[in-house]
Amino acid sequence: MNKKNQIKIFIVEDNNVFALALKADLETSFVNMPIQIHLFETGEKCMEKLKQEKPQIVILDYHLNSKNSDAADGVKVLDWIKKENNETYVIMLTRDDNIDIALQSLKHGANDYVVKTDTQFRKIIFSLFNFFKIMNAKSELKRYKYILIATFLCVSLLVCGVLAIWFFASALLR
Amino acid sequence: MKATESENNIQLSEPVCDFRYLIDIVNGKTYLISGIMDVFLKQVPEDIQCINEAITNTDYKTIKSYTHTMKSSVSIMGISILMPVLMEMENLGIAETDIEKIKQLNLKLKVICVQAIDEIKKEKLNYNHAILKKTINKNSKS
Repeated sequence: MNKKNQIKIFIVEDNNVFALALKADLETSFVNMPIQIHLFETGEKCMEKLKQEKPQIVILDYHLNSKNSDAADGVKVLDWIKKENNETYVIMLTRDDNIDIALQSLKHGANDYVVKTDTQFRKIIFSLFNFFKIMNAKSELKRYKYILIATFLCVSLLVCGVLAIWFFASALLR
Repeated sequence: MKATESENNIQLSEPVCDFRYLIDIVNGKTYLISGIMDVFLKQVPEDIQCINEAITNTDYKTIKSYTHTMKSSVSIMGISILMPVLMEMENLGIAETDIEKIKQLNLKLKVICVQAIDEIKKEKLNYNHAILKKTINKNSKS
């Protein structure tokens, strides 16, 4: 598999059972896609790898410091991620269905917000599908841009060729 | 994890785990189910130990944090009976009040977890057998 085309997803979650189940669900749902998933228990560990791996997607738990109070919370890690690369698609996860947490996450640059309920994994997958659609649209746009530039260059060359022939022909006729 | 005398007073007649959600998540892949169960069997006793210590020290913050985290784990294993217990413990932890009620709820939590762990261990054995069968079949084919 081409490493360049791989979609890297970071899951930052201090609950190992949840993280592993989410990883399994994503790998099952996107079985035909070149996704590579990395798990991290803390934001600090995630940041160590973020610069090196440059993930396109980060699924981030809001309550990251529940087990280790010294660890950075989800919003702090979100700030670090966005500072490193504003283009990273971040889904904030929380068990609290609280509008203030949702607003805080979105204000800090989260692209989506998912509440941990029975349908949590379906919502994450739906969010990722939307992201992949945007990614596809962006790459299509890039492709069309290149086609447009190539067409413009071809037309320019053709016009230059015609002008050159016309110039030489008129010079010869004189 | 063994239940004490007071914990034994809480009787559970029906299974507490419902594995349908987990099976659905991993599309029935036995090795994934077994792997997730392994992590649960390692993590939950540690979480309960931390909650016990926090209750002894009347550390409401830790009680709140660990009960909050445990909700995610138990939801994966379909232990819905634990949700109201954990929620009540978390709310009391947030309110920093009624350690006696938290102790009572903790007894219930431990009993349910002991049974859940037992059920998961039994279920895991089935998956281990399935994995073993698959491996033997694969090897005999090749």
